[in-house]
Amino acid sequence: MTAQKLPSAFDDLEPFVGWALAKEQERTSKRLASSMEDIQEFYDSMSPRLEAVMEYLNQLPLDNMPLDAEWLFHMSLSLMEVANAVEMFHNPAVINGFDVKRFVPVED
Amino acid sequence: MQTVIDDKRWAKKYPEVGTGPVSAEPLISQEYFELEREKIFRRAWLNIGRVEEIPNPGDYIAKDLVACNASVLIMRGKDGVVRGFHNVCSHRGNKLVWDEKGSCNGSLTCGFHAWSYNTKGELTWVSDEENFFDLPKRDLGLSPIHTDVFEGFIFINLDPKPNESLREYLGGVADQLEGGGFSELALMGQYKIDEHANWKVALDAQNELYHIPFQHRRTIPQFCVMKDGKYTRLLDVRLFNHHSVYSSESPDDRVGPATEKLAVQFSVAETEYRLPRIGPFDFYTIFPNMALLLFQGVSHDYYMTYNFWPNAVNQTDWDIKLYCRPAENAGQRVGQEYFKCLLRDLLQEDATAHEQIHIGLASRAKKELYFQDEEVQIRYFHKVLERFYAEA
Repeated sequence: MTAQKLPSAFDDLEPFVGWALAKEQERTSKRLASSMEDIQEFYDSMSPRLEAVMEYLNQLPLDNMPLDAEWLFHMSLSLMEVANAVEMFHNPAVINGFDVKRFVPVED
Repeated sequence: MQTVIDDKRWAKKYPEVGTGPVSAEPLISQEYFELEREKIFRRAWLNIGRVEEIPNPGDYIAKDLVACNASVLIMRGKDGVVRGFHNVCSHRGNKLVWDEKGSCNGSLTCGFHAWSYNTKGELTWVSDEENFFDLPKRDLGLSPIHTDVFEGFIFINLDPKPNESLREYLGGVADQLEGGGFSELALMGQYKIDEHANWKVALDAQNELYHIPFQHRRTIPQFCVMKDGKYTRLLDVRLFNHHSVYSSESPDDRVGPATEKLAVQFSVAETEYRLPRIGPFDFYTIFPNMALLLFQGVSHDYYMTYNFWPNAVNQTDWDIKLYCRPAENAGQRVGQEYFKCLLRDLLQEDATAHEQIHIGLASRAKKELYFQDEEVQIRYFHKVLERFYAEA
């Protein structure tokens, strides 16, 4: 059994820890590689918990979180990444979107 | 047939801009591309980054500018001064710096024969110097480029004798934005887009809101839709010497999606931070190839810059940068991420259109562009282009 990654208060989100990705390019790639069903399942599970997650994370220094909180933080960024897929496009990719290979995020 | 402009707000305010169709030729023609090199890109003030990209003495950024037929180097000297140079070694013309950014320990060395320059561009060391013939080292520093800074934005001008100082060039834009505190915000997101469209096709497409309810019907359908719930209407348009700004607001009863509501909630801060906006959303076109977008944030305003770098008639590097007040907590950072992803996704909708528009225009099936009143700023941009093309 793999070790729990998230703070225990957020046990229910553990199945989605694959969305805990630090870089935008990783999050975008996962969104584009996922089925709409997987995206929807992540969205449906994480959205109702987001307020509680933020309340938890806001108590911690943004630049120096413990690792379990960081997983949670990255998952929250992923929720922002997929929000439009669920709420606007009903599709993993932007409809009539640009070739992602030529629309490149510049990250440190 | 007389055009009645009484009920057209912007035509009435700016009758000199005209109301007729505008030629599409400059957007697709190789001749205009060449003309632009000389008449625009080697004469106008061009934005290359911000001072925060070169915070320490010895820091530099270098950029190959196909549109200018030049490679430029911007360096912060040991004395703290930001200077621009042609990125060209005085020996035999090699490009001095080959990376896009870096930091030198007081000295830049050419890879070819190790000629070295200090952070003021002076030639300080020549390998095997005694084997040269009366080398005038003092005259062989890097060739300087006029460089100046406005509110942290670095501008260069390749004209050996620019007509106007940067401040004069920016004119009314500088009056509006001076003291705006742009240095209080930090780069939060950046994208580089390789788009197969003319730089002006791209800029024109971004320089209006008319397209929002249609092209962005999935993403931001109600944004700035102030006319009968159907069409956008601008709050204000101001035309300056070379530049323009349009300003807009959204209807009070606009309803965003569920995650936007959460992002708004998390973005509430104890302090307010505002940029010198005219309305909730301002879009500046800073001639020739820069746009500056100011956004009303929940507590903290944010801004974006676009720089369109032409490499060919039908290829442009569109650099997009988003600047936010540094997040104080995870909630604010997550809120910023929401707005960044939203902007990114709708700019993807736009970028696709740029390429399709270019294909359409390049066919020459249509020779003219038709603009409505709410697109007056695009008309004006074309008028400024014509003025620069015609200058001796």
